[in-house]
Order: sequence, then structure tokens, then C-alpha cells
Amino acid sequence: MAEATEQGTGARRPRSNWVPLAVATGIVVLLGAGWPLLDAATPSTQELASDHTVDVGSGGDYAASLQPPQRGWNMDTTRTMAGQQYVLTRGPVELDLTSVTPPQDMDATPENLWAGMETTSKVHDASARLGRPENANSQDGTEGLVGDLHTQGRTERAAVFPSPDGEFAVEMILGGKDATEADLAAVEDVVEAVSFEHRGGS
Amino acid sequence: MGRAPHEPSKHTPGRDEGQVPSQRGPEHEQETTYGSRPHDAEPAAPGRDGEGAPGSVHIGRGAHEPGQRLPALAAMAVLAAACVIGLVLTWMYASGIVRAYAWPAVLAFGLGVITYLVGFFIFRRIRPVRPPRVTVAVLATVWGLLAATGVAAYANTGMGGLWGQILGYETAGAWTAALTAPLNEELLKLAGVVVLAVAFPRALRGPVDGFILGALVGLGFEVTENFLYALNSISMSGALAPATSVSDSTIVRVVLTGLGSHWAMTAIAGTAVGVLAAVDWRPGLRRALGALGLVLLAMLGHFFFDSPLLGEGLGGIAAKVAFVFLSAMVVYFLARHTYRGRVRKSLSEQGSDLGMRRADAKHLASRHGRNKALARVARPERPEVRRRQERMVEEAEDRAARHAVN
Repeated sequence: MAEATEQGTGARRPRSNWVPLAVATGIVVLLGAGWPLLDAATPSTQELASDHTVDVGSGGDYAASLQPPQRGWNMDTTRTMAGQQYVLTRGPVELDLTSVTPPQDMDATPENLWAGMETTSKVHDASARLGRPENANSQDGTEGLVGDLHTQGRTERAAVFPSPDGEFAVEMILGGKDATEADLAAVEDVVEAVSFEHRGGS
Repeated sequence: MGRAPHEPSKHTPGRDEGQVPSQRGPEHEQETTYGSRPHDAEPAAPGRDGEGAPGSVHIGRGAHEPGQRLPALAAMAVLAAACVIGLVLTWMYASGIVRAYAWPAVLAFGLGVITYLVGFFIFRRIRPVRPPRVTVAVLATVWGLLAATGVAAYANTGMGGLWGQILGYETAGAWTAALTAPLNEELLKLAGVVVLAVAFPRALRGPVDGFILGALVGLGFEVTENFLYALNSISMSGALAPATSVSDSTIVRVVLTGLGSHWAMTAIAGTAVGVLAAVDWRPGLRRALGALGLVLLAMLGHFFFDSPLLGEGLGGIAAKVAFVFLSAMVVYFLARHTYRGRVRKSLSEQGSDLGMRRADAKHLASRHGRNKALARVARPERPEVRRRQERMVEEAEDRAARHAVN
């Protein structure tokens, strides 16, 4: 039929529907498998210099940053989304750092944030629970809470520091599937290495 | 088969009022039943419908042209497989967050259902002449809900990691969304429109169909993405007020930016599929460039939307939404105008053959016109008149679809 239509009209034969179907299927497979495989095949960490400062987030009149006290920290570039969430690694140790912005009119005290953090920690492990927190101070003296996070048979460290004006907070979990207690103890001061700076002119 | 000139004096009152005359009337004895005859046996302007050359076989809705059945079955298999894989991937991605925030997830799901139903109604409704089949429309949204979203989550993460390596984590944080989503998400959504075009060849035969099915695929994608963003927003706000976080996130994504979001981008790109499908996937250079331009326009809109350009202020967001929405509207009204023109012309020709007034025949191109005509006939006759209307409109849409090929 198609051939007959072509006769004398100069019209071209319709392309088989197999062609667009193959192209569409190929695109789905290529994108869905190609990028993750390529990402897995290439390095996914960025080494941080010893004096490197990570800008963690900002809100209201303050900005937060983290300067790891130890050398050898790397940024996981696949799992990090600057401005929201950072994943730093050092050997088997992982530091998950999140900048959270409480809803307006919420009383973002360290205690409330600590309770909320227990809920969010259940996203990755339904059995996760936070231990009793202790008062702690960040690098610049901002008050926060630090305590243990019990998850999947391991004990990790958790910390939360609300910014001085309460507009945002920095939450951290120091752990790692293969990290031993000694590994964590060696770098546990990193969770208190965050500091809040008043933003001039704002 | 000549067309009688319009002679109002010969018309019955019913015909003058926009009713569709019976094809079994004495003056149309030579007419065969719509839906069973070959196209080339129908009235056509000389040289336009290829008189003297065999046309394609007129087939009922849902049937396939020769050579289309097997690819259609394969397309259905691809659609089913992609949706199952997408469901599994989405579940792997979201199961933890749904478990942790069970009640807020119910709220987010409820808001998603409302968004879906409203969008589904609107996008089916805005197709000129007739809405798309419910089955096809639902499957379009399912591709967006499951297949495109599930695969995109992993594609974006993988590509984002590469950008992190190339640009450094700080620059990547600002630009990764703009540099990954327009490529991955637009192509994955577009692939769904192509699969639907192969699975249901009669449901996607031109730019208008591409726009509508694209919008429906985008709607599905948007609903799932809104759901995931709403739950993520709980974590990003410290889980202090989960319900507030979910509702705030949904309001921002539906009310504030909804006009210029996924539905609009995929509608633009989907129009390109319609442009290609209309000529049996074998476009000339002009059509190919036009289709490519539409896909690039959708990607550009997505890039602009996700980029840090213009900042995060209300003015910047409004400009981005306006760009995407207005682009979609320009594409829609151009496609709609062309399509309606072809359908009305065909209806006019059919009307002349059937002894209808041209204006009355043209009015059948709109739902309002058809309902108005129906309202003027006695209630017992309405089902039959409605069937005749349907046949005329279907024939007109067939001709409009063939216009590009011819």
C-alpha cells in the first residue's frame, strides 16, 4: 500500500514504527543505566585542602561553615548537593551534614531539632534512635546538642546547632558502615568544628 | 462524487439547526457507512486526498494500520516493563522516607491525587474537537508517574556525580539541576510520548495529540516529583512540622510554579513527537528541524527554570514560570489553530456532501457546538444523532491527520 502511494507522487515510504520505538527504548536504557555506570566508573570524591572551609548554609543574618580540624577529608561529589546536604568522607568515616530551615513560626530550639532529627534518622534505618544529648558549643560558641545515634547495631555520633537567630540549623551525623568506634573517636571533634558568622550588611 | 452547493431552501429545519443528517437518506444512497470504507472513497478535494491513489485503510479507533500491530504490542511491553522498573526504582528511593513519615506521606499522596485529577481533567479537556481516550491518557500519566520518574532519579544522581567531578562540588551544587534535569528528564518523558505514539498510533497523529499526551506525561511526572519533594522537605525543615512542610512544598510547586512546570515542558517536547508521527516518522528537513527546535525549547525552558539565573526571589521565579508557560501556550495555540482549521474544513466538506449548512457542520468541531445541536433534537433521537456526529468528527479528524502526509 505504501509503495503504491509512492508511485508518481515522489512521497517517501513511511518509516517503520520499530525505529521510533527502538530510539525511545534506547534512550531510556542509556540514561537510566549509562550515567550511573559512568559515575560508578569514575572517582566520586574531591579532596579537601587542610585549610578548606565548607560553606554549609545560610539563613537570616547568619552563614555557617565547617573547617574540618583533621587533614584527609574528601567531599563525596555524588551524594553532595551544595547548599543542602554534604557528605564528607575520611577513610571509612562519613560525615553527613545537612542545612535545615525550620518552618516559620516554629520554635527551633536545640531540643526540638534533636527530636526532629530522630525522626529524620529513621529514613535510612527504621530502628534508629538518638541517645540522651549533651550540651555542646560550636567553634564560635553557638550552643547545640551532641549525642549518640544507635543504628543497625552501630553507635554513631549526632549533633545539631541552630543558628544564633534560629533561622536555620546545621545537623550532622558522624558514622560510616565500616567505621569502628576508634575511627569515629579519632575525628569526633569535627562535629563541633562548625561555626556561624554574622553576614555583614544583611 | 461531487458536492452539492449549499442550498438552504432544501434543508430540513433540523439540518439547519446543526444536526447531522442521516447518511441513509435517499440523496446519499451511494454513501457507505462511516468507519468501514477506505479513505479514498470519501469525498475529497481533487488532488488533496490523493484521488486515484490508494489511501490508507480507514480503521476504527484503537485499531492499527498494517505493519503497526507488532510494534504496538512491543511498545506496550516496553511501556509495562519501564513502568514496573520505574515503580521498583521509585520504591527503592522513597520507601525509607515514606516509612519514616507515614502520615505526612498520606497527606502528600492526597494532595497528589487532587493535583492529578485536576490536571487530568484540564489536559483532556483542552484537546480541541475531542478529548483523548481515557486509556491512552491514563497510560501517559502512568509513564510519567512511574517510568520517567523512577529512571530519572538514578540518571540524575549519576550525571550529577559527574558534574560534581567536573565542576567541583560548590559550582555543581548551584548548576547540577540545570545541567542534568533538562537532558535526562525531558528525554525520559519524551520517550514515553514516543512509546505511546507507537502503541496507539491513532491516538497520536499530529502536533495537538503530541501536546496533550506530553502534558499528561508531564503531569504524571510532576505528581510523583511533588510527592517526593514534599517528603524531602520534611527532612530539610528538621521534621519540626511535617504536615506544614508537605503543604508548603505542595503549594509552592503547584500554585506558585505549577503553570510553568513539567506538564508545560513535556507538552512542548511532545508536540515534536506529533510533528514526526504525523508524517510516519519520516520528516523532511523543515519538519525535522521544527521538531528538534521544540525539544530544545522544552530543554531550554527546563534549564532556565532550574538554573540559579535571576536568583530565588519571587520576580525571578515568576519570570521563569512565565517563560515556560508562555512558550507552551504559543505552541498550543499554533497547533490548535491549525488543527481546528483542518477539522472544520473537513466538516464543512462533509456537511456539503450531506446537505448541511457549512456553518452548522463547522460547529460540530467543538463540544459546545455538538451539544447545542443535540439539544435541538428530540430526546429519543439524540443517541443516533450523537453517533452520526461522532462519525463525522472522526472522519474529519482522520482527514486532518492525513493532511500532513499528503
